Amino acid sequence: MSAVPNVAAAQPSGAARRAVPLPRGRRSTELAMLCFAIGVVAFAYVAVGLGLNGHVPGGLVVYVAGFAALMLIAHLAVRRFAPWADPLMLPLAALLNGIGIVMIYRLQESGRGGNPGLRISTLTAHAALYQLVWTAVGMAAFVAVLVVIRQPRILQRYTYTLGTIGLILLAIPALLPSSHSSVNGAKVWIIIGGFSIQPGEFARIALAVFFSGYLVAKRDVLSLAGRRFLGIDLPRGRDLGPILVLWAISMLILIFESDIGTSALFFGLFIAMLYIATQRKSWLLIGLLLFVAGALLAGAIIPHVHERFTIWRHPFAPGNIQGSSFQLVQGLEGMAFGGIFGTGLGLGQPFRTPLVQSDFIFTGFGEELGLTGLMALLLIFGLLVQRGLRAALATRDPFAKLLAAGLAFVLALQVFIIVGGVTQLIPLTGITTPFLSQGGSSLVASWMVIALLMRISDTARRPAPQPIQDEGLTQVVRAV
Amino acid sequence: MNRAIRRLSIASLVLFVLLMVNVNYLQVFRVNSLASEPYNSRIFSEQLKNQRGEIIAAGDSGQPDLVIAKSKQVKGGFYKRVYPAGREYAPVTGYDSILATTSPFGQTGIEKAENKYLTGTAPSLAVYNLKGLFTGKPKQGASVYLTISPKAQAAAYSALVTMGKPAAAVAIDPRTGAILAMVSYPSFNPNAYTPINSGKVAKNDKRLRSDPADPLLNRAINDTFPPGSTFKLITSSAAFKTGKVANQSSTISAPQFYRLPGSHSTLANDAGAPCGNGNPTILFALTVSCNTAFAKLGVTVGGDPLHSMAAAYGFNNPNLTIPLPVSASAYPALTDRAQIALSAIGQFNDTETPLQEAMVAAAIANGGTMMRPYLVAQIKAPDQSVVQSAQPAVYANPISAAQAGYLTDMMKSVTQDPNGTAYATAGPPATSILIAGKTGTAQNGVNNSHLDDAVFTCFAPADNPKIAVGVIVKGGGFGADAAAPIALKIIQAYLGLH
Repeated sequence: MSAVPNVAAAQPSGAARRAVPLPRGRRSTELAMLCFAIGVVAFAYVAVGLGLNGHVPGGLVVYVAGFAALMLIAHLAVRRFAPWADPLMLPLAALLNGIGIVMIYRLQESGRGGNPGLRISTLTAHAALYQLVWTAVGMAAFVAVLVVIRQPRILQRYTYTLGTIGLILLAIPALLPSSHSSVNGAKVWIIIGGFSIQPGEFARIALAVFFSGYLVAKRDVLSLAGRRFLGIDLPRGRDLGPILVLWAISMLILIFESDIGTSALFFGLFIAMLYIATQRKSWLLIGLLLFVAGALLAGAIIPHVHERFTIWRHPFAPGNIQGSSFQLVQGLEGMAFGGIFGTGLGLGQPFRTPLVQSDFIFTGFGEELGLTGLMALLLIFGLLVQRGLRAALATRDPFAKLLAAGLAFVLALQVFIIVGGVTQLIPLTGITTPFLSQGGSSLVASWMVIALLMRISDTARRPAPQPIQDEGLTQVVRAV
Repeated sequence: MNRAIRRLSIASLVLFVLLMVNVNYLQVFRVNSLASEPYNSRIFSEQLKNQRGEIIAAGDSGQPDLVIAKSKQVKGGFYKRVYPAGREYAPVTGYDSILATTSPFGQTGIEKAENKYLTGTAPSLAVYNLKGLFTGKPKQGASVYLTISPKAQAAAYSALVTMGKPAAAVAIDPRTGAILAMVSYPSFNPNAYTPINSGKVAKNDKRLRSDPADPLLNRAINDTFPPGSTFKLITSSAAFKTGKVANQSSTISAPQFYRLPGSHSTLANDAGAPCGNGNPTILFALTVSCNTAFAKLGVTVGGDPLHSMAAAYGFNNPNLTIPLPVSASAYPALTDRAQIALSAIGQFNDTETPLQEAMVAAAIANGGTMMRPYLVAQIKAPDQSVVQSAQPAVYANPISAAQAGYLTDMMKSVTQDPNGTAYATAGPPATSILIAGKTGTAQNGVNNSHLDDAVFTCFAPADNPKIAVGVIVKGGGFGADAAAPIALKIIQAYLGLH
């Protein structure tokens, strides 16, 4: 009725001095979203069994309860160690991880125990259980990062240490004999007694930290000192030298290890961070030109890369379709088979695509969950990237800013390279799909990235220390 | 640094938008082209999982239907096609091989023509499929009910097997155009195409394709033969229509020897015999099948009227489907009078399918109205609801009812007059059924070096026609001896029931 707002009621009462309200940590939101994610995973798990043989699958307790427990532990750790962290990252990552386990379970069951479909020879009967165990390791790593790295800037102290560690991690597979480092032609593993890790996944984090630390220290000289050449501001050689050398070494190692996808990923990470640090568009231009030139050169001289270009352009050529492009074509046909709504979990034929549990898991989702499911997955990845970039924008510390932006962008780039590769948008290069692909190293490293991003957003959203004004003279600042 | 980060988020957004657009393109717009890729194993195995509809010969009213193609479940949940009637029905069913998705030769016959119904993907089955989606029933194709009479078909095929020469026969209900029998010899076993093993199928296919006897050829509708003297029915029709001959009692000129106009060749009758008194009625000329009379009559009638009459009976039409595509029977447009003379007695370049042979008799039997021939009587969804039902339709009106009456009298005389060419094999000595027919003996090969093709076209009973038959036996010799007994067996088998 009254058009005049009640002004008096809106004003704080003059008598009681009010504390400035604390920004909300939004941990309850996180818990609610997490429960939703766990619910989606549980339903998906049940749907796999119903689709395969009409029964609720056994192991419901092990898989779903185990997964839920791990995620809730992570949530409690966030409550305790990063209470102001972004509330969406954990649920988003949890949903991806959980749905990945469900898909691996679905693939492992194909052709086993009387279920329809063909058995996938590259997948053991306990692959999903292993993936759950790796999830537990990932959770441990997640919590460890939150506990150990209480401030992002702690990492800055170890800039060169981490750079060296990153390089060593990258180089180990190249130095090991093939029997201890090579799977399907990619020499990127450390294999010891049936146990294998991909050190490159962790090297990526170490190098991102190194790039951040180095570029933060040098960004002024990089962007100000230098010569102008052909309208482009070039930094001084001695400023740029170390980082170029490091980058070149990592590229060489990657090419030597026949891992073009990761190589492209490092390149993108490097250029993006250089651009953020210096704000010079010329870096993007140089980077793009270098990349195109490098890709064309690699295509011309490395047979392995040349073949990737050929099957990208002519996957259905008679000479390719039953040979080199078989996997790509199976993935594409699987996605087409799924159409808009998909066949439903357990009802498609993803087992026809070689390595559908790792590089091609996205096409497996495309087949059984359809366009609808893929749009949801891409949105989840997109949101995760967006939350990471948001943390980068919000934090004041330049080092953390650079690290968060780099980690978030490299996540976007990784999704683009693998999803674009399996959907014939770009030439296919085998890298893991974050959180979804089978394999421990990628999963654990991805959780570490999420932990770092959450730590940075926690620092950014953490309220400024409350001044305790007792005497009006002495200002006591609570130690953080 | 925030400005650079914002730009980077826009770049990330672009990457995701590119992925989303591409995935939409892939899963919406490229679905059909990817599904039809030749090596798409998913589509292939999916088709093996569906129960394809049955093909049923249902032309004998009051008699049990005969299932001639069905899908049997084998291990792995796959369905295997089975053709219980084998060779006898091969020209009708054709085959559905597991190569159907990869090879244009993977399907033939009704299996190909009605594939959409048999697989259940036809739009008119959409409502049924939708119901199945909700009730969770497995996908199942519709059944195709054919007009084929199992009795007539069996009689026709065993008669051809007994004859043992390349041959084909077609029987039609003249009142509707329903095809009652369609056989071809030598035939093939369509079960050779059904193993769920593409290597085995390809091997069988190669063997059948390289067989010199050409068993895969459906001679009833896809092979053409010279019609021989049976074409005299069409020459007579043209003569009546143009008024050159008033009725069956009118006399026509029939010299013992006829010099073809503008040439030095001379045409004689069979064994050089004279044709009556040299000026017989057209009825008598047809009864004994005088070549000179009809060659001369053809020239009198002229090339154009003959050509248009042949077309009115269905010649020169490459587009007829029953629904199997039928090869065109040919009557060339001629101006050379010697060629017209030869073509008027079914020689020169005239060719026709056995189906066309039966269609001519059916048109005469049905008072000059030719019904469109068809094989599919009904299509029923798995819940037995009728999806599609054949409606008999007029295909052509080559002659009037009165003219059909004249021709019927002439064809009756062929079997009933002791002088008639088919008196012994389709007349009173052979059967009590009143058959109206016409024999044909077509010369072929260089200088008639091969044995003549035997042709017989007829309908019965002549006063109340229920079945019209066309038979061609390659190298069968005299039409009345080789082809007429086969037609008689088909007629006896069919009329024994109806």
